[in-house]
Amino acid sequence: MNILIKLIQVAFLYGFYVIGSWLHDFFHIPLPGSIIGLLLVWGALSTNLLKLKWIESGAHSLLSVLPIFFIPATVAIMNYGHFFSGKGSLLIPITIVSTFLTMGVASFISQSIAKRLDKRKEESECN
Amino acid sequence: MQLIILTFGFILLTIAVYFAMTVLYMKVHLPFLVPIITTTIVIIVILVLFNIPYETYMFGGQWIDKLLGPAVVSLAIPLYKQRDLLKRQIYPIITGVLVGCLTGMVTGVWLAKSAGFSKELVLSILPKSITTPIAMQIATQVGGIPALSAVFVIIAGISGVLLSHYFLAFFKLDSTLGRGIGLGVATHAIGTSKAIEYGEQEASLSSVAMTLSAIFGSLLGPMIALLFY
Repeated sequence: MNILIKLIQVAFLYGFYVIGSWLHDFFHIPLPGSIIGLLLVWGALSTNLLKLKWIESGAHSLLSVLPIFFIPATVAIMNYGHFFSGKGSLLIPITIVSTFLTMGVASFISQSIAKRLDKRKEESECN
Repeated sequence: MQLIILTFGFILLTIAVYFAMTVLYMKVHLPFLVPIITTTIVIIVILVLFNIPYETYMFGGQWIDKLLGPAVVSLAIPLYKQRDLLKRQIYPIITGVLVGCLTGMVTGVWLAKSAGFSKELVLSILPKSITTPIAMQIATQVGGIPALSAVFVIIAGISGVLLSHYFLAFFKLDSTLGRGIGLGVATHAIGTSKAIEYGEQEASLSSVAMTLSAIFGSLLGPMIALLFY
C-alpha cells in the first residue's frame, strides 16, 4: 500500500515535469522542463494549492537515490574520450580549476555577506 | 525479445552497481567513493570490457534517465520546507550565485582561450557550471558544441563531488550557506546530490543556487561570449 502511494506520488511529480517541458516548448522559456516543474511545485506549495503530504513521500524516495538518475548521462563520457587525448587533455584541468574558483568565490561571498549582515543585526540589537 | 532482455539487463545492471557502490560508500566513508563516480566508472569498465557501445547501454539507461526530470522537480520539497532560511538569507544567496556564476563562465573561457583552443571548444566550456539541459541551450546560443558542453558539465560536477569536501574544509568555507551555495553554483544538480548528504538546509540552498545560476547563466552567457570574441 505504502509503495503504491509512493508510485502515485512519483507519477504526480512526473506530471509536473511534463507540464514544465510543455511550457518550455510552447513559450520558449529558456529553462529546462524539470526546473520549470520545480518552480511550479514550489509555487503551488507556497500558495497552498498543493499539500506537502500529497507528494512528500514520493519526492523523498526519488531524492534518496538522486545520484542514480545521473548515471546514464555520466556514462556518456565514454564516447568523448578522443576530445581529451593529446592537447585536449588540458581541458580537464581547466574545467576543474574553473569549477573550484567558482565554488570558492560563490561560497566565500555568500558566507561573508551573511556574516556581515548578522553582525549588523547584532549591533543594532545592542544599541 | 533481445531488446527486452537488453533493456531490463541494463536497468538491473545500473541499479545493482549503484546499490553495491552505495553500500561500499556507507562502509568506507571516503569522499571520492561517492556512488555517482564509482557507479559511472564500474559501468564504463563493464561496457568497454564487453565491447558494448553506449547507445546499446541506453536501451536500458534511457528509462533511468527519464526519472531525472521528476527527481529534479522533487527538489521543490526541500526548497519549500526551508523557505524561512532562504528568505532570511536572500541577499547572500543572490550575490553569491551571481558572482559565482560569472566567475565560472569567465574563468572557463579565459583559461581555455589562453591555452589556445579553438573558438568552438572555448565556447563549449562556457556553460560548464550550469545544469546540463540549460548548458546545452547556452552552448547552441553562443556557438559551442552542445554535446561537448554536456561533457564539461559532467566533469565539473564529478570533480566537484570528488574534491569539494576537502576544498571547502581547507578554505573554511564550511558553513551551511557556504557549502550549499558553493556546490549548487559550481556543480549544479550533481553537486546537489552531494549537498543532500550534508542535510536538508544544504540541499535546499544548493537547489536554489543551481536554479538561480541557470537563470543568470542563460541571460549572461551570450554577453560573456561577446566579451571574448
